[in-house]
Amino acid sequence: MSLIGIVFIFSAGTYWSSIHYEGELPFYIKQSMYLLLAIIVFIFVANMSVFTREKTWITLYVLSLILLVLVLIPGIGIVRNGSRSWIGLGPLTIQPAELVKITTLMYLSFLLSKVKNSERVVQIKHFLIIILPCALIMLQPDFGSVFILVVSAFILLFIARYPIKLYVGFIVLGVVGLIVLIASAPYRLKRIEAFINPWEDPLGSGFQAVQSLLAIGPAGILGHGFQESRQKFLYLPEPQNDFIFSIILEEIGLLGGCFVLALFGIFIYAGCGLALQSIKSSDFYVISALVGMVGFQAALNIGVVIGLIPVTGVTLPFISYGGTSLMIIWFVVAIVICFSNQSEVYKE
Amino acid sequence: MKWISTISKKRLKLIIFGFVLFGLSVVIRLFYVQVIQHDKLTQLAKENWDREIPFASERGEIVDRNGKVIVTNKLAPTLYFMPAQNDNIEEAANQIASVLNLDAKKLYEKMNTRDYLVKLAPEAKNITYEQAVQIQGLKIDGLYSGVDYIRHYPYGNLLSRFLGFTGYDTQGLAGIEYQYNKLLTSKDAAIRLYTDAQGNSLPHVDDEWREGDQGATVELTIDLEVQEVVERELSQAMKKYNADQALAIAMDVNTGEILALSSYPTYDPSNFEETDQSIYNRNLPVWMTYEPGSTFKIITLSAALEEDVVDLENDMFYDKGYTIVEDSRLRCWKREGHGSETFLQVVENSCNPGFIEMGQRVGATKLLQYIKDFGFGEPTGSNIAGEASGILFSEESFGPVEHATTSFGQGIAVTPIQQVQAVAAAVNGGKLFKPYVVSRVYDSESGNTILESKPELKRNVISEETSKKVREALESVVANGSGRQAYRDGLRIGGKTGTAQKVVDGRYKDGEYIVSFIGFAPADNPQVVVYVAIDNPKSSVVFGSTIAAPIVGQIIEDIAPKINLEVDRKGQLEKQYRWGDPITERVPNLVGYTLDEIMKLQYPFNIEIHGDGKKVTSQLPEAENIIQQDGTIHLYLEEN
Repeated sequence: MSLIGIVFIFSAGTYWSSIHYEGELPFYIKQSMYLLLAIIVFIFVANMSVFTREKTWITLYVLSLILLVLVLIPGIGIVRNGSRSWIGLGPLTIQPAELVKITTLMYLSFLLSKVKNSERVVQIKHFLIIILPCALIMLQPDFGSVFILVVSAFILLFIARYPIKLYVGFIVLGVVGLIVLIASAPYRLKRIEAFINPWEDPLGSGFQAVQSLLAIGPAGILGHGFQESRQKFLYLPEPQNDFIFSIILEEIGLLGGCFVLALFGIFIYAGCGLALQSIKSSDFYVISALVGMVGFQAALNIGVVIGLIPVTGVTLPFISYGGTSLMIIWFVVAIVICFSNQSEVYKE
Repeated sequence: MKWISTISKKRLKLIIFGFVLFGLSVVIRLFYVQVIQHDKLTQLAKENWDREIPFASERGEIVDRNGKVIVTNKLAPTLYFMPAQNDNIEEAANQIASVLNLDAKKLYEKMNTRDYLVKLAPEAKNITYEQAVQIQGLKIDGLYSGVDYIRHYPYGNLLSRFLGFTGYDTQGLAGIEYQYNKLLTSKDAAIRLYTDAQGNSLPHVDDEWREGDQGATVELTIDLEVQEVVERELSQAMKKYNADQALAIAMDVNTGEILALSSYPTYDPSNFEETDQSIYNRNLPVWMTYEPGSTFKIITLSAALEEDVVDLENDMFYDKGYTIVEDSRLRCWKREGHGSETFLQVVENSCNPGFIEMGQRVGATKLLQYIKDFGFGEPTGSNIAGEASGILFSEESFGPVEHATTSFGQGIAVTPIQQVQAVAAAVNGGKLFKPYVVSRVYDSESGNTILESKPELKRNVISEETSKKVREALESVVANGSGRQAYRDGLRIGGKTGTAQKVVDGRYKDGEYIVSFIGFAPADNPQVVVYVAIDNPKSSVVFGSTIAAPIVGQIIEDIAPKINLEVDRKGQLEKQYRWGDPITERVPNLVGYTLDEIMKLQYPFNIEIHGDGKKVTSQLPEAENIIQQDGTIHLYLEEN
């Protein structure tokens, strides 16, 4: 239970930052409301054994796939930033891709946990489960979500003793796949170019990367101080969202950035700790997969912000603004706790 | 129920290890960006954030030796435009174009860029106040008017071919403006507007003033007053003789400081676009290379005297009008010849065969060495842009005929500044000084010196004793010989005329001459040397003696009080009377005499009396001045 406490402290910290770093009034009020809702959902979900059952997840997996199909229908799906990724529900908007990442990983975890020792580890249906939602998300298109899903799923498969040899193949396949993806959409190629030399076209394709560096660089070790960010004034696109980490770095500097980094480290460490303590292999897979997903998403976002990875539209878990993503993250944590509770019960 | 395999656990730990590695690389990367690249990125970020409305700092001034400003700056309202703040740039361009009478399409192209800030120059630089008000009234989004300077030349064309000019961004493009551009250039001050990316100003950040730096001041050795006299005389000569070009140099004989430097025709540096390149790119006194003619005889004379091969007063020479050197007949300018004359008269008459004789007595190798020692054949090092080196005969091709023609200044080509440098040395005691024109460059605000030039002695060419003889000979040229029209009472001007046929495409051009005169004063202790050359004057008599000599005389007379040349008649040679000269006498002293006494003396002059009284208390002109016989003397009387 103490580990859960740490996760809570972490969330409290991120809540604090999520309020303040957004700057403008409506954002943080909305976000606080979302967070309140998320915590209610969290408490609710964490105590519901329904979510530990396999059947629930099969249903949710199918449901999320249906949502993915729905989002593609012009009347229902809302287009933002060139992607048809949102479904409007009154004042709320939902991003089915966020949901499908979890359901896919969950379903996959359950399947993997049922693989008998005598059975072959590598099974076609595992891939089908992954590829189906990926294909649907690509139609939106939302490269970032696909990327996270694929990598998280591969982390899961890796943990589930998929042979290393296969991974070499995956990597080769992945590289080829990336090239195909990049070639298929010119904006991706531009982003790669911008990554290699963002200063070449600081007002065009390199804009985001350059602006992010301009936020981080001048901040130095201690940062400009709280609320002293310059880049949040429309220089950085989506400072409350994809690039919130630049603003954090700008305001509280290298040390603050390391602090946030450490919190994520603790989250991953604690999460994996829970996984290792679990008894059932399904618990182990679920917790590892979800923690891996959150961790990878955080790594991807941070990597983009500091210019280690080409610009990809990925939010920073817990911290970035966005109702769906916040809900999902807390939902994920709730599920993790759900499963670890179950493991505790077993132990007793 | 299935238990977790240890392989799975190991693999999870591997994944954790992967995350740790990534975390480490993030920290390293952050350290690189935030600490190592900190300064560089800060600079870039400031540029990114700031909307600077430049307040131009002044480009350095150019001043004369007394600190008088020759080139300065004038405020010029200038328009700046931020494309991001305007939704309808085409409309804005049209509006501005209609007020300023510009081509709307070109303006649109300039305004419709992805820059943060566009300076609308030169089109919308230095607009009038009314235009600025009118444009402000249009309330065009993203248009600002800032302060800029344009170069201002209070003396207009004066010295322009030396000064050069600046482009629309006040970058030096020619002349001294170009040569000293780096030092003259200022760093602009600016108001930094803190804005968001769309240019809206931010409430909680104060606008900042960025200090600029004024450009350094360049101080010339030029004396503006001397320059004005020189330019006035040259412009009059240009008109009077309808000449192609004219040039002049005035230099301090004992330091090499150039006091005036002039080329005609001139141009207005603020309108350089309308001027032909060949005018503003050629600073004639250092660029022009031509046959010097008789002024060069000073070198031959100096060499002959230094080698002690001629006694000016006692050696005799017979000029029959020509000399034959290796079957070539070299003529004197006077067809019938000067007959029997002393070598002093050879100098006075500028007699070519006489100088050939002097040159021959010195010897070819030695003469050529003297010419080189006097600084010919290489640039003087004056540091004036575009200096030429002139053309001498090489030692191998220096045959008897070349030797002979060189002795009287033909067959070689030199620059005016080389002649000035050489003659200064010939009369100042033999010291060859490097001519220079920039004396100092200093910080305009603190006054600290950045660069300084001091007189630089290159070498001693002839002895003081020889130099004294040269001075005396040249003074007698002005008093008795071809330079008589440069004679000024009490100033003891010495000098030498020159008339050279122009060489075009390697051949002498009939009827076109460059006439020149090089003069210095005072002859007993030279202070200043003045050289004037007029290119292709249209006149019935085209001689240096009739055209250039009087100009130099006038220049020296007018600048004498400005450079503290004292009028001193002691030891001066009297001007020799020639038929046609006005008959002159010295003004007698009449102060202290009564009117009755004066009347008894029966002077030929008109006498005008002013005031009542018995005794003369003052007179004009004063005693010992030169007066024509029919001139008027004014006498002022007072009671008691």
